[in-house]
Amino acid sequence: MPRYELALILKAMQRPETAAALRRTVETLMERGAVVRDLENLGERLLPYKMTKHNQRHSRGSYFLVDFYAAPSILNGLLDHLHRDVDVVRPTVLKKDEQVSTSTTTCCGAPQSKNKSSIFK
Amino acid sequence: MFHVIARRSAPVTRLLLAPRGAVLVESVRGRKSRGDPVAKSKEGRIKVPPPVDPKEMVVLKERFTEYQLILRALRLEFKEEVLRKKFEEETGSLAEERARQDAEEHRTLMLWNQEENLRLLKARVLRIQKEEEEAQRTKMEAVMKLELQQDEFIKQKEQQVLQLQEEAKNFITMENLDQRIEEALDHPKNYNFAVDREGRVVRQTVVQ
Repeated sequence: MPRYELALILKAMQRPETAAALRRTVETLMERGAVVRDLENLGERLLPYKMTKHNQRHSRGSYFLVDFYAAPSILNGLLDHLHRDVDVVRPTVLKKDEQVSTSTTTCCGAPQSKNKSSIFK
Repeated sequence: MFHVIARRSAPVTRLLLAPRGAVLVESVRGRKSRGDPVAKSKEGRIKVPPPVDPKEMVVLKERFTEYQLILRALRLEFKEEVLRKKFEEETGSLAEERARQDAEEHRTLMLWNQEENLRLLKARVLRIQKEEEEAQRTKMEAVMKLELQQDEFIKQKEQQVLQLQEEAKNFITMENLDQRIEEALDHPKNYNFAVDREGRVVRQTVVQ
């Protein structure tokens, strides 16, 4: 099955409500036959611009990443469902490409620097 | 001497000996047709042949016969020479020699040709054999290479399957859903970073 990534922007809510929304979303996914691989939180932050959704103006939102395996046929229905969810500000499903081989060899580019400051790793 | 002329050269001989200057002329009446009356100016005309002196005629005739005899003899002599030359060329003594030598040469050349053919045949057979062996060898190599590739492919796929099985242990299920949600909410991840021209990477950013 191809691998997708749901970049979900949820309304800025309290922790239990966010948890409930996440649980709802993941359960919907699993009902439609998807295999959820991982759930990541990118924090609650200021949105890049104010978004209006479900008659509400949002300036802050919490970002979540869900990667899952699913059949392509469910995506339409899924997006429909997510658009209708009141707590969801913006759902985006993207296809995940194959990982580039993460070897230690660096691409041709800038040479390694010699001086090390505190913020540089 | 000419009784022995070859059968085939009869028409050729006729062409060689045809008299020169024999031309066929059609008779043509002038302006008047057959039934037209004679002209008035020609009414009492009696056609008279030109006068001939008998003595002169006799002398002329004798001289002419002599002349024609000589000329005829000369012509016949020349014709005879031509025919003889032709005859000599076709069935003379030298012609036989030449024919024999030609046949001899032909025979030797044919023999040589046959030998050449044999030689080339042997070379060709050897060459074809070598090519067949080569083709066989390359085919075997191709088959082996294909097999190797297939094995490689299978190995790769097996490895992928194993890796996926390993990763499947970390997937989210109904049981660890709550736990994973709590975990995710507790540990926010930050993928943002900055790079400068010297290649130094900064991962610490301001959280809004």
